[in-house]
Amino acid sequence: MRPGPLLAALVTTLRRNVAMTCAVVVTVTICLAMLGAGLLLRAQAHTVDSFLLDQIEIVVDLQDGLDDADRQALRDELAADPLVGGVTYESKQDVYERFRRDFRTSPDVVAGVGPDDLPASFRLALIDPRDAVVIVETYTGRDGVEAVRDQRALLGPLYRFLDAFTLGAFVLAAVQAVASFVLIYTMIRISAHARRRETAIMRLVGATNAAIRAPFMLESALAGLLGGLLAVGALVLAKIYLVDGRFARQTMFPLFGWDAVWVAAATVLAVGVTAAAGMASVALRRHLRA
Amino acid sequence: MIRLASVTKRYAAGSRPALCDVSTEIGAGEFVFLVGPSGSGKSTLLRLLLREERATTGLVEVAGRDVARIPDRKVPLLRRTVGCVFQDFRLLPDRTVAGNVAFALDVVGRPRHVVRAVVPEVLELVGLTGKEKRFPDELSGGEQQRVAIARAFVGRPQVLLADEPTGNLDPATSAEIMDLLDDINQAGTTILMATHNAGLVDAMRLRVLELDAGRLVRDERRGGYDNPDGPSATSPDIDTSPLDDTGPLDVSAGTGPLDVPAQRSRVQAPAPTGREAG
Repeated sequence: MRPGPLLAALVTTLRRNVAMTCAVVVTVTICLAMLGAGLLLRAQAHTVDSFLLDQIEIVVDLQDGLDDADRQALRDELAADPLVGGVTYESKQDVYERFRRDFRTSPDVVAGVGPDDLPASFRLALIDPRDAVVIVETYTGRDGVEAVRDQRALLGPLYRFLDAFTLGAFVLAAVQAVASFVLIYTMIRISAHARRRETAIMRLVGATNAAIRAPFMLESALAGLLGGLLAVGALVLAKIYLVDGRFARQTMFPLFGWDAVWVAAATVLAVGVTAAAGMASVALRRHLRA
Repeated sequence: MIRLASVTKRYAAGSRPALCDVSTEIGAGEFVFLVGPSGSGKSTLLRLLLREERATTGLVEVAGRDVARIPDRKVPLLRRTVGCVFQDFRLLPDRTVAGNVAFALDVVGRPRHVVRAVVPEVLELVGLTGKEKRFPDELSGGEQQRVAIARAFVGRPQVLLADEPTGNLDPATSAEIMDLLDDINQAGTTILMATHNAGLVDAMRLRVLELDAGRLVRDERRGGYDNPDGPSATSPDIDTSPLDDTGPLDVSAGTGPLDVPAQRSRVQAPAPTGREAG
Protein backbone atom coordinates (compact mmCIF):
# COMPACT_ATOMS: atom_id res chain seq x y z
CA MET A 1 0.00 0.00 0.00
CA ARG A 2 1.11 3.57 -0.59
CA PRO A 3 2.04 5.60 2.50
CA GLY A 4 -1.03 7.87 2.18
CA PRO A 5 -3.76 5.22 2.39
CA LEU A 6 -1.70 3.27 4.92
CA LEU A 7 -1.49 6.31 7.17
CA ALA A 8 -5.21 6.91 6.75
CA ALA A 9 -5.91 3.33 7.82
CA LEU A 10 -3.57 3.77 10.79
CA VAL A 11 -5.33 6.95 11.89
CA THR A 12 -8.73 5.24 11.64
CA THR A 13 -7.48 2.33 13.72
CA LEU A 14 -6.00 4.61 16.37
CA ARG A 15 -9.05 6.82 16.56
CA ARG A 16 -11.35 3.89 17.17
CA ASN A 17 -9.05 2.40 19.73
CA VAL A 18 -7.61 5.28 21.75
CA ALA A 19 -8.15 3.93 25.27
CA MET A 20 -6.68 0.54 24.46
CA THR A 21 -3.70 2.09 22.71
CA CYS A 22 -3.03 4.27 25.77
CA ALA A 23 -3.11 1.22 28.03
CA VAL A 24 -0.61 -0.50 25.76
CA VAL A 25 1.64 2.57 25.74
CA VAL A 26 1.69 2.76 29.55
CA THR A 27 2.48 -0.92 29.98
CA VAL A 28 5.12 -0.86 27.28
CA THR A 29 6.67 2.23 28.91
CA ILE A 30 7.04 0.47 32.27
CA CYS A 31 8.37 -2.65 30.59
CA LEU A 32 10.94 -0.75 28.56
CA ALA A 33 11.94 1.52 31.46
CA MET A 34 12.71 -1.62 33.48
CA LEU A 35 14.65 -3.05 30.56
CA GLY A 36 16.57 0.21 30.26
CA ALA A 37 17.26 0.28 34.01
CA GLY A 38 18.59 -3.26 33.79
CA LEU A 39 20.83 -2.30 30.91
CA LEU A 40 22.15 0.73 32.82
CA LEU A 41 22.84 -1.36 35.92
CA ARG A 42 24.81 -3.74 33.75
CA ALA A 43 26.60 -0.79 32.25
CA GLN A 44 27.41 0.34 35.77
CA ALA A 45 28.88 -3.06 36.61
CA HIS A 46 31.01 -2.86 33.47
CA THR A 47 32.07 0.66 34.33
CA VAL A 48 33.26 -0.50 37.75
CA ASP A 49 34.89 -3.51 36.12
CA SER A 50 36.81 -1.54 33.59
CA PHE A 51 37.78 0.98 36.24
CA LEU A 52 39.22 -1.84 38.31
CA LEU A 53 40.79 -3.62 35.36
CA ASP A 54 42.45 -0.36 34.44
CA GLN A 55 43.73 -0.22 37.95
CA ILE A 56 46.03 -2.96 39.04
CA GLU A 57 44.10 -5.83 40.40
CA ILE A 58 46.46 -7.39 42.90
CA VAL A 59 48.37 -5.29 45.40
CA VAL A 60 51.45 -6.74 47.07
CA ASP A 61 52.14 -4.62 50.14
CA LEU A 62 55.81 -4.58 51.11
CA GLN A 63 57.18 -4.71 54.59
CA ASP A 64 58.78 -1.52 55.79
CA GLY A 65 62.56 -1.61 55.64
CA LEU A 66 62.85 -3.96 52.68
CA ASP A 67 66.11 -3.09 50.98
CA ASP A 68 66.45 -2.22 47.33
CA ALA A 69 68.14 -5.48 46.34
CA ASP A 70 65.48 -7.66 47.92
CA ARG A 71 62.77 -5.49 46.44
CA GLN A 72 64.35 -5.84 43.00
CA ALA A 73 64.60 -9.60 43.41
CA LEU A 74 60.92 -9.81 44.33
CA ARG A 75 60.04 -7.61 41.41
CA ASP A 76 62.01 -9.82 39.01
CA GLU A 77 60.31 -12.88 40.38
CA LEU A 78 56.86 -11.32 39.99
CA ALA A 79 57.66 -10.16 36.49
CA ALA A 80 58.82 -13.65 35.55
CA ASP A 81 55.59 -15.24 36.85
CA PRO A 82 53.66 -16.47 33.79
CA LEU A 83 50.34 -15.36 35.33
CA VAL A 84 51.47 -11.78 35.72
CA GLY A 85 51.20 -9.38 32.86
CA GLY A 86 52.80 -6.33 34.40
CA VAL A 87 54.36 -5.07 37.62
CA THR A 88 54.42 -1.48 38.84
CA TYR A 89 56.13 -0.21 41.94
CA GLU A 90 54.48 2.43 44.06
CA SER A 91 56.48 4.11 46.76
CA LYS A 92 54.92 5.13 50.06
CA GLN A 93 54.45 8.62 48.62
CA ASP A 94 52.72 7.23 45.50
CA VAL A 95 50.44 5.11 47.63
CA TYR A 96 49.60 8.11 49.79
CA GLU A 97 48.72 10.15 46.69
CA ARG A 98 46.45 7.40 45.46
CA PHE A 99 44.87 7.10 48.89
CA ARG A 100 44.16 10.81 48.96
CA ARG A 101 42.68 10.59 45.49
CA ASP A 102 40.47 7.59 46.28
CA PHE A 103 39.13 9.15 49.46
CA ARG A 104 38.90 12.71 48.21
CA THR A 105 35.26 12.76 49.26
CA SER A 106 36.11 11.76 52.83
CA PRO A 107 38.59 14.37 54.17
CA ASP A 108 38.26 13.01 57.71
CA VAL A 109 39.78 9.71 56.68
CA VAL A 110 42.65 11.37 54.82
CA ALA A 111 43.42 13.80 57.65
CA GLY A 112 44.66 11.14 60.08
CA VAL A 113 46.98 9.39 57.64
CA GLY A 114 50.44 10.30 56.41
CA PRO A 115 52.71 8.73 53.75
CA ASP A 116 54.59 6.73 56.37
CA ASP A 117 51.44 5.00 57.56
CA LEU A 118 50.98 3.29 54.22
CA PRO A 119 53.10 0.47 52.81
CA ALA A 120 54.99 0.70 49.54
CA SER A 121 53.61 -1.86 47.13
CA PHE A 122 53.77 -3.65 43.81
CA ARG A 123 50.61 -3.53 41.77
CA LEU A 124 50.18 -6.53 39.50
CA ALA A 125 48.22 -6.70 36.29
CA LEU A 126 47.19 -10.27 35.67
CA ILE A 127 46.97 -11.81 32.26
CA ASP A 128 43.75 -13.46 33.42
CA PRO A 129 42.10 -11.76 36.42
CA ARG A 130 40.61 -15.11 37.47
CA ASP A 131 44.09 -16.26 38.53
CA ALA A 132 44.03 -13.75 41.40
CA VAL A 133 43.52 -16.49 44.01
CA VAL A 134 46.64 -18.37 42.86
CA ILE A 135 48.75 -15.23 43.03
CA VAL A 136 47.45 -14.38 46.48
CA GLU A 137 48.29 -17.90 47.73
CA THR A 138 51.72 -17.95 46.10
CA TYR A 139 53.02 -14.67 47.47
CA THR A 140 51.35 -14.37 50.84
CA GLY A 141 53.91 -14.86 53.59
CA ARG A 142 56.97 -14.44 51.39
CA ASP A 143 59.94 -12.58 52.81
CA GLY A 144 59.41 -8.87 52.57
CA VAL A 145 55.73 -9.24 51.73
CA GLU A 146 53.37 -7.70 54.23
CA ALA A 147 50.12 -8.76 52.56
CA VAL A 148 48.70 -9.64 49.16
CA ARG A 149 45.31 -8.10 48.43
CA ASP A 150 42.90 -8.84 45.62
CA GLN A 151 41.09 -5.56 45.19
CA ARG A 152 38.27 -7.16 43.30
CA ALA A 153 37.48 -9.46 46.20
CA LEU A 154 36.76 -6.43 48.33
CA LEU A 155 34.10 -5.44 45.87
CA GLY A 156 32.08 -8.63 46.10
CA PRO A 157 29.18 -6.96 47.92
CA LEU A 158 29.03 -4.19 45.32
CA TYR A 159 28.89 -6.69 42.48
CA ARG A 160 26.27 -8.75 44.29
CA PHE A 161 24.22 -5.59 44.78
CA LEU A 162 24.51 -4.62 41.12
CA ASP A 163 23.78 -8.16 39.94
CA ALA A 164 20.72 -8.46 42.15
CA PHE A 165 19.28 -5.16 40.96
CA THR A 166 20.05 -5.97 37.33
CA LEU A 167 18.31 -9.30 37.66
CA GLY A 168 15.39 -7.66 39.45
CA ALA A 169 15.01 -5.07 36.70
CA PHE A 170 15.11 -7.73 33.97
CA VAL A 171 12.57 -9.91 35.79
CA LEU A 172 10.23 -6.93 36.17
CA ALA A 173 10.76 -6.11 32.49
CA ALA A 174 9.86 -9.71 31.60
CA VAL A 175 6.69 -9.60 33.70
CA GLN A 176 5.72 -6.32 32.07
CA ALA A 177 6.52 -7.81 28.67
CA VAL A 178 3.97 -10.55 29.34
CA ALA A 179 1.43 -7.90 30.39
CA SER A 180 2.25 -5.91 27.25
CA PHE A 181 1.70 -8.95 25.08
CA VAL A 182 -1.68 -9.64 26.64
CA LEU A 183 -2.71 -6.02 26.10
CA ILE A 184 -1.41 -5.89 22.54
CA TYR A 185 -3.22 -9.15 21.83
CA THR A 186 -6.44 -7.59 23.11
CA MET A 187 -5.80 -4.33 21.28
CA ILE A 188 -5.37 -6.21 18.00
CA ARG A 189 -8.50 -8.23 18.63
CA ILE A 190 -10.51 -5.07 19.17
CA SER A 191 -8.92 -3.35 16.18
CA ALA A 192 -9.48 -6.33 13.93
CA HIS A 193 -13.09 -6.47 15.00
CA ALA A 194 -13.58 -2.73 14.48
CA ARG A 195 -12.04 -2.94 11.01
CA ARG A 196 -13.52 -6.26 9.94
CA ARG A 197 -15.50 -4.68 7.10
CA GLU A 198 -12.41 -3.05 5.69
CA THR A 199 -10.26 -6.14 6.01
CA ALA A 200 -12.97 -8.29 4.43
CA ILE A 201 -13.13 -5.95 1.44
CA MET A 202 -9.37 -5.74 1.25
CA ARG A 203 -9.17 -9.50 0.99
CA LEU A 204 -11.89 -9.57 -1.64
CA VAL A 205 -10.26 -7.02 -3.90
CA GLY A 206 -6.93 -8.80 -3.66
CA ALA A 207 -4.91 -6.90 -1.10
CA THR A 208 -1.92 -8.90 0.08
CA ASN A 209 -1.72 -10.20 3.60
CA ALA A 210 1.08 -7.73 4.26
CA ALA A 211 -1.12 -4.82 3.17
CA ILE A 212 -4.01 -6.04 5.31
CA ARG A 213 -1.85 -6.49 8.37
CA ALA A 214 0.29 -3.39 7.97
CA PRO A 215 -2.05 -0.93 9.72
CA PHE A 216 -2.38 -3.22 12.75
CA MET A 217 1.35 -3.83 12.94
CA LEU A 218 1.94 -0.10 12.59
CA GLU A 219 -0.55 0.64 15.36
CA SER A 220 1.28 -1.71 17.67
CA ALA A 221 4.72 -0.53 16.58
CA LEU A 222 3.63 3.06 17.16
CA ALA A 223 2.49 2.15 20.69
CA GLY A 224 5.88 0.47 21.14
CA LEU A 225 7.67 3.56 19.87
CA LEU A 226 5.69 5.89 22.14
CA GLY A 227 6.34 3.59 25.10
CA GLY A 228 10.00 3.50 24.13
CA LEU A 229 10.26 7.29 23.94
CA LEU A 230 8.62 7.68 27.35
CA ALA A 231 10.96 5.04 28.77
CA VAL A 232 13.97 6.85 27.28
CA GLY A 233 12.68 10.05 28.87
CA ALA A 234 12.53 8.27 32.23
CA LEU A 235 16.08 6.96 31.80
CA VAL A 236 17.41 10.40 30.90
CA LEU A 237 15.70 11.96 33.94
CA ALA A 238 17.07 9.20 36.14
CA LYS A 239 20.58 9.85 34.80
CA ILE A 240 20.33 13.59 35.41
CA TYR A 241 18.62 13.67 38.79
CA LEU A 242 19.37 10.33 40.37
CA VAL A 243 22.76 9.27 39.04
CA ASP A 244 24.53 12.57 38.39
CA GLY A 245 22.61 14.58 40.96
CA ARG A 246 22.76 12.18 43.87
CA PHE A 247 24.85 9.01 43.51
CA ALA A 248 27.86 10.79 42.04
CA ARG A 249 28.44 12.57 45.35
CA GLN A 250 28.07 9.42 47.40
CA THR A 251 30.45 6.99 45.76
CA MET A 252 34.11 6.87 44.87
CA PHE A 253 33.50 4.61 41.90
CA PRO A 254 33.00 6.08 38.48
CA LEU A 255 29.37 5.95 37.31
CA PHE A 256 28.18 5.08 33.83
CA GLY A 257 28.22 7.96 31.38
CA TRP A 258 25.82 9.30 28.75
CA ASP A 259 27.16 6.88 26.16
CA ALA A 260 25.66 4.03 28.22
CA VAL A 261 22.37 5.94 28.43
CA TRP A 262 22.23 6.38 24.64
CA VAL A 263 23.05 2.72 24.03
CA ALA A 264 20.27 1.74 26.45
CA ALA A 265 17.93 4.24 24.80
CA ALA A 266 18.59 2.88 21.30
CA THR A 267 18.13 -0.69 22.55
CA VAL A 268 14.90 0.20 24.35
CA LEU A 269 13.47 1.91 21.25
CA ALA A 270 14.48 -0.89 18.90
CA VAL A 271 13.15 -3.57 21.24
CA GLY A 272 9.95 -1.59 21.86
CA VAL A 273 9.12 -1.15 18.19
CA THR A 274 10.11 -4.59 16.95
CA ALA A 275 8.70 -6.52 19.90
CA ALA A 276 5.39 -4.66 19.74
CA ALA A 277 5.13 -5.27 16.00
CA GLY A 278 6.12 -8.90 16.51
CA MET A 279 3.52 -9.38 19.23
CA ALA A 280 0.93 -7.80 16.94
CA SER A 281 1.94 -10.21 14.20
CA VAL A 282 1.36 -13.16 16.52
CA ALA A 283 -2.02 -11.75 17.57
CA LEU A 284 -2.99 -11.14 13.93
CA ARG A 285 -2.46 -14.78 13.08
CA ARG A 286 -5.19 -15.51 15.56
CA HIS A 287 -7.58 -12.67 14.85
CA LEU A 288 -7.32 -11.97 11.15
CA ARG A 289 -8.20 -14.50 8.50
CA ALA A 290 -5.53 -14.96 5.88
CA MET B 1 -12.52 -18.58 -18.14
CA ILE B 2 -14.06 -20.72 -15.40
CA ARG B 3 -13.92 -24.50 -15.39
CA LEU B 4 -15.26 -26.89 -12.79
CA ALA B 5 -14.55 -30.60 -13.16
CA SER B 6 -16.29 -33.04 -10.81
CA VAL B 7 -16.20 -30.52 -7.99
CA THR B 8 -17.46 -31.67 -4.62
CA LYS B 9 -17.37 -29.52 -1.52
CA ARG B 10 -18.11 -30.89 1.92
CA TYR B 11 -17.90 -28.49 4.87
CA ALA B 12 -17.75 -31.26 7.45
CA ALA B 13 -16.68 -34.83 6.94
CA GLY B 14 -19.70 -37.07 6.55
CA SER B 15 -22.13 -34.23 6.02
CA ARG B 16 -24.21 -33.76 2.90
CA PRO B 17 -21.97 -32.04 0.34
CA ALA B 18 -22.70 -28.39 -0.38
CA LEU B 19 -21.67 -29.11 -3.96
CA CYS B 20 -21.73 -32.59 -5.45
CA ASP B 21 -19.83 -33.58 -8.58
CA VAL B 22 -20.40 -30.31 -10.39
CA SER B 23 -18.80 -29.96 -13.81
CA THR B 24 -19.24 -27.02 -16.13
CA GLU B 25 -17.31 -24.51 -18.14
CA ILE B 26 -17.92 -20.80 -18.62
CA GLY B 27 -16.21 -19.11 -21.51
CA ALA B 28 -14.62 -15.68 -21.59
CA GLY B 29 -17.20 -12.93 -22.09
CA GLU B 30 -20.21 -15.06 -21.14
CA PHE B 31 -23.01 -13.86 -18.88
CA VAL B 32 -24.32 -16.77 -16.84
CA PHE B 33 -27.08 -16.89 -14.25
CA LEU B 34 -26.71 -19.25 -11.35
CA VAL B 35 -30.08 -20.17 -9.91
CA GLY B 36 -31.43 -22.54 -7.33
CA PRO B 37 -33.08 -22.39 -3.94
CA SER B 38 -31.33 -21.14 -0.85
CA GLY B 39 -28.85 -23.74 0.34
CA SER B 40 -28.45 -25.24 -3.13
CA GLY B 41 -24.75 -24.39 -3.24
CA LYS B 42 -24.67 -21.14 -5.23
CA SER B 43 -22.67 -19.19 -2.67
CA THR B 44 -20.36 -22.14 -2.10
CA LEU B 45 -19.62 -22.23 -5.80
CA LEU B 46 -18.78 -18.53 -5.81
CA ARG B 47 -16.58 -18.97 -2.75
CA LEU B 48 -14.66 -21.74 -4.46
CA LEU B 49 -13.94 -19.45 -7.40
CA LEU B 50 -12.48 -16.88 -5.00
CA ARG B 51 -10.51 -19.48 -3.05
CA GLU B 52 -12.47 -18.49 0.03
CA GLU B 53 -12.98 -22.22 0.25
CA ARG B 54 -11.21 -25.15 -1.34
CA ALA B 55 -13.00 -27.94 -3.14
CA THR B 56 -12.97 -31.23 -1.28
CA THR B 57 -12.40 -33.03 -4.59
CA GLY B 58 -12.36 -31.98 -8.20
CA LEU B 59 -10.77 -29.20 -10.17
CA VAL B 60 -11.63 -25.50 -10.02
CA GLU B 61 -10.00 -23.36 -12.70
CA VAL B 62 -10.28 -19.59 -13.01
CA ALA B 63 -8.56 -17.73 -15.85
CA GLY B 64 -6.59 -20.86 -16.68
CA ARG B 65 -5.26 -21.40 -13.17
CA ASP B 66 -6.00 -24.34 -10.91
CA VAL B 67 -7.33 -22.40 -7.95
CA ALA B 68 -6.43 -25.08 -5.40
CA ARG B 69 -2.81 -24.99 -6.47
CA ILE B 70 -2.32 -21.27 -6.15
CA PRO B 71 0.03 -20.71 -3.23
CA ASP B 72 -1.48 -18.69 -0.37
CA ARG B 73 0.62 -15.62 -1.07
CA LYS B 74 -0.59 -15.56 -4.70
CA VAL B 75 -4.28 -15.81 -3.79
CA PRO B 76 -4.56 -11.98 -3.75
CA LEU B 77 -3.56 -12.01 -7.43
CA LEU B 78 -6.43 -14.42 -8.18
CA ARG B 79 -8.82 -12.13 -6.36
CA ARG B 80 -7.67 -9.18 -8.46
CA THR B 81 -8.83 -11.03 -11.55
CA VAL B 82 -12.22 -11.79 -9.98
CA GLY B 83 -14.46 -8.92 -8.91
CA CYS B 84 -17.28 -9.42 -6.44
CA VAL B 85 -20.65 -7.83 -5.80
CA PHE B 86 -23.03 -8.77 -2.99
CA GLN B 87 -26.64 -8.39 -2.06
CA ASP B 88 -25.72 -6.22 0.95
CA PHE B 89 -23.32 -3.96 -1.03
CA ARG B 90 -20.62 -4.07 1.67
CA LEU B 91 -19.60 -0.45 1.36
CA LEU B 92 -17.51 1.35 3.96
CA PRO B 93 -19.88 3.79 5.66
CA ASP B 94 -17.13 6.25 6.61
CA ARG B 95 -15.86 6.66 3.07
CA THR B 96 -17.38 8.64 0.25
CA VAL B 97 -18.50 7.10 -3.02
CA ALA B 98 -15.15 7.94 -4.60
CA GLY B 99 -13.35 6.81 -1.45
CA ASN B 100 -15.05 3.42 -1.52
CA VAL B 101 -14.04 2.88 -5.12
CA ALA B 102 -10.52 4.22 -4.62
CA PHE B 103 -10.13 1.91 -1.62
CA ALA B 104 -10.01 -1.12 -3.91
CA LEU B 105 -7.08 0.39 -5.81
CA ASP B 106 -5.33 1.87 -2.78
CA VAL B 107 -5.12 -1.41 -0.92
CA VAL B 108 -3.53 -3.20 -3.84
CA GLY B 109 -0.90 -0.49 -4.08
CA ARG B 110 -1.93 1.27 -7.29
CA PRO B 111 -0.18 4.63 -7.71
CA ARG B 112 -2.12 7.74 -6.82
CA HIS B 113 -2.23 9.17 -10.32
CA VAL B 114 -3.81 5.92 -11.55
CA VAL B 115 -6.39 6.05 -8.78
CA ARG B 116 -7.19 9.67 -9.58
CA ALA B 117 -7.61 8.92 -13.24
CA VAL B 118 -9.51 5.65 -13.03
CA VAL B 119 -12.03 6.31 -10.26
CA PRO B 120 -13.94 9.11 -12.07
CA GLU B 121 -14.02 6.99 -15.24
CA VAL B 122 -15.61 4.08 -13.43
CA LEU B 123 -18.04 6.30 -11.55
CA GLU B 124 -19.11 7.73 -14.89
CA LEU B 125 -19.56 4.21 -16.24
CA VAL B 126 -21.87 3.29 -13.37
CA GLY B 127 -23.72 6.61 -13.61
CA LEU B 128 -22.62 8.18 -10.36
CA THR B 129 -20.85 11.24 -11.70
CA GLY B 130 -21.70 14.17 -9.43
CA LYS B 131 -22.19 11.96 -6.39
CA GLU B 132 -18.51 11.26 -5.73
CA LYS B 133 -18.54 13.00 -2.38
CA ARG B 134 -21.70 11.45 -1.01
CA PHE B 135 -21.53 8.89 1.77
CA PRO B 136 -23.25 5.51 1.38
CA ASP B 137 -26.05 6.41 3.80
CA GLU B 138 -26.92 9.35 1.55
CA LEU B 139 -27.53 7.04 -1.42
CA SER B 140 -30.44 4.86 -2.49
CA GLY B 141 -30.00 1.10 -2.55
CA GLY B 142 -29.52 1.12 -6.29
CA GLU B 143 -26.88 3.80 -6.05
CA GLN B 144 -25.10 1.90 -3.32
CA GLN B 145 -25.04 -1.19 -5.50
CA ARG B 146 -23.62 0.92 -8.32
CA VAL B 147 -20.81 1.98 -6.01
CA ALA B 148 -20.22 -1.67 -5.13
CA ILE B 149 -20.12 -2.58 -8.81
CA ALA B 150 -17.74 0.29 -9.49
CA ARG B 151 -15.50 -0.96 -6.70
CA ALA B 152 -15.59 -4.50 -8.05
CA PHE B 153 -14.92 -3.36 -11.59
CA VAL B 154 -12.36 -0.61 -11.02
CA GLY B 155 -9.49 -3.09 -11.05
CA ARG B 156 -10.74 -4.38 -14.41
CA PRO B 157 -11.22 -7.99 -13.33
CA GLN B 158 -11.65 -10.65 -16.00
CA VAL B 159 -14.53 -12.19 -14.08
CA LEU B 160 -17.27 -10.51 -12.08
CA LEU B 161 -19.13 -12.63 -9.54
CA ALA B 162 -22.43 -11.22 -8.38
CA ASP B 163 -24.14 -12.87 -5.43
CA GLU B 164 -27.79 -11.80 -5.61
CA PRO B 165 -26.89 -8.22 -6.49
CA THR B 166 -30.54 -7.25 -6.90
CA GLY B 167 -31.75 -9.05 -3.79
CA ASN B 168 -32.22 -5.83 -1.83
CA LEU B 169 -33.53 -3.72 -4.70
CA ASP B 170 -36.96 -2.96 -6.12
CA PRO B 171 -37.73 -4.25 -9.62
CA ALA B 172 -37.04 -0.98 -11.41
CA THR B 173 -33.70 -0.54 -9.70
CA SER B 174 -32.90 -4.21 -10.21
CA ALA B 175 -33.41 -3.70 -13.92
CA GLU B 176 -31.03 -0.73 -13.91
CA ILE B 177 -28.39 -2.73 -12.10
CA MET B 178 -28.93 -5.52 -14.61
CA ASP B 179 -28.39 -3.04 -17.42
CA LEU B 180 -25.16 -1.95 -15.83
CA LEU B 181 -23.93 -5.52 -15.45
CA ASP B 182 -24.93 -6.13 -19.03
CA ASP B 183 -22.84 -3.15 -20.14
CA ILE B 184 -19.87 -4.47 -18.21
CA ASN B 185 -20.37 -7.86 -19.80
CA GLN B 186 -20.57 -6.30 -23.27
CA ALA B 187 -17.20 -4.73 -22.58
CA GLY B 188 -15.78 -8.23 -22.26
CA THR B 189 -16.00 -9.15 -18.60
CA THR B 190 -17.27 -12.63 -17.81
CA ILE B 191 -20.17 -12.45 -15.37
CA LEU B 192 -21.54 -15.16 -13.14
CA MET B 193 -24.58 -13.96 -11.26
CA ALA B 194 -26.31 -15.94 -8.55
CA THR B 195 -29.88 -14.76 -8.29
CA HIS B 196 -33.41 -15.49 -7.18
CA ASN B 197 -34.80 -12.80 -9.43
CA ALA B 198 -36.91 -14.81 -11.86
CA GLY B 199 -38.07 -11.73 -13.73
CA LEU B 200 -34.57 -10.72 -14.71
CA VAL B 201 -33.51 -14.22 -15.69
CA ASP B 202 -36.62 -14.75 -17.78
CA ALA B 203 -36.24 -11.39 -19.48
CA MET B 204 -32.56 -11.76 -20.33
CA ARG B 205 -32.74 -15.31 -21.72
CA LEU B 206 -29.07 -15.99 -21.18
CA ARG B 207 -27.30 -19.13 -20.10
CA VAL B 208 -28.68 -20.52 -16.84
CA LEU B 209 -26.99 -22.95 -14.48
CA GLU B 210 -29.33 -24.41 -11.91
CA LEU B 211 -28.17 -26.01 -8.69
CA ASP B 212 -30.34 -28.15 -6.49
CA ALA B 213 -29.05 -29.65 -3.27
CA GLY B 214 -25.49 -29.17 -4.50
CA ARG B 215 -26.01 -30.84 -7.88
CA LEU B 216 -25.98 -29.10 -11.22
CA VAL B 217 -29.44 -30.02 -12.51
CA ARG B 218 -29.64 -27.71 -15.52
CA ASP B 219 -27.29 -25.95 -17.92
CA GLU B 220 -29.48 -24.21 -20.44
CA ARG B 221 -28.54 -21.72 -23.16
CA ARG B 222 -31.13 -18.96 -23.26
CA GLY B 223 -32.80 -20.36 -20.23
CA GLY B 224 -35.49 -19.01 -17.98
CA TYR B 225 -35.61 -19.08 -14.23
CA ASP B 226 -37.75 -22.21 -13.95
CA ASN B 227 -36.66 -25.57 -15.18
CA PRO B 228 -38.74 -26.41 -18.28
CA ASP B 229 -37.88 -30.13 -18.14
CA GLY B 230 -39.01 -30.96 -14.69
CA PRO B 231 -40.37 -29.81 -11.44
CA SER B 232 -39.01 -26.48 -10.57
CA ALA B 233 -36.25 -26.61 -8.05
CA THR B 234 -38.13 -24.08 -6.09
CA SER B 235 -41.74 -23.57 -5.23
CA PRO B 236 -43.26 -20.78 -7.29
CA ASP B 237 -44.86 -18.99 -4.39
CA ILE B 238 -41.44 -18.23 -3.03
CA ASP B 239 -39.05 -18.15 -5.89
CA THR B 240 -40.86 -16.35 -8.60
CA SER B 241 -40.91 -13.22 -6.55
CA PRO B 242 -38.02 -11.06 -7.62
CA LEU B 243 -37.47 -9.94 -4.06
CA ASP B 244 -38.03 -13.08 -2.11
CA ASP B 245 -34.98 -12.71 0.09
CA THR B 246 -35.48 -9.23 1.24
CA GLY B 247 -36.98 -7.78 4.38
CA PRO B 248 -39.87 -5.47 5.16
CA LEU B 249 -38.67 -2.89 2.65
CA ASP B 250 -39.85 -5.08 -0.19
CA VAL B 251 -43.51 -5.07 0.64
CA SER B 252 -44.17 -2.34 -1.85
CA ALA B 253 -42.28 -4.21 -4.53
CA GLY B 254 -43.82 -7.60 -4.07
CA THR B 255 -44.99 -7.94 -7.61
CA GLY B 256 -45.00 -10.90 -9.91
CA PRO B 257 -41.96 -12.18 -11.73
CA LEU B 258 -42.90 -10.69 -15.06
CA ASP B 259 -44.00 -7.37 -13.71
CA VAL B 260 -41.11 -5.68 -15.38
CA PRO B 261 -41.04 -1.92 -15.09
CA ALA B 262 -41.44 0.08 -18.21
CA GLN B 263 -38.08 1.84 -18.03
CA ARG B 264 -36.22 -1.46 -18.12
CA SER B 265 -35.58 -1.10 -21.78
CA ARG B 266 -32.67 -3.42 -22.48
CA VAL B 267 -33.52 -6.05 -20.00
CA GLN B 268 -37.11 -6.21 -21.07
CA ALA B 269 -36.18 -6.90 -24.62
CA PRO B 270 -35.97 -10.49 -25.78
CA ALA B 271 -32.67 -12.15 -25.15
CA PRO B 272 -29.78 -10.45 -26.85
CA THR B 273 -28.12 -12.72 -29.33
CA GLY B 274 -24.58 -13.63 -30.12
CA ARG B 275 -23.41 -14.30 -26.62
CA GLU B 276 -24.25 -17.92 -26.21
CA ALA B 277 -20.89 -19.19 -27.27
CA GLY B 278 -18.18 -18.96 -24.74
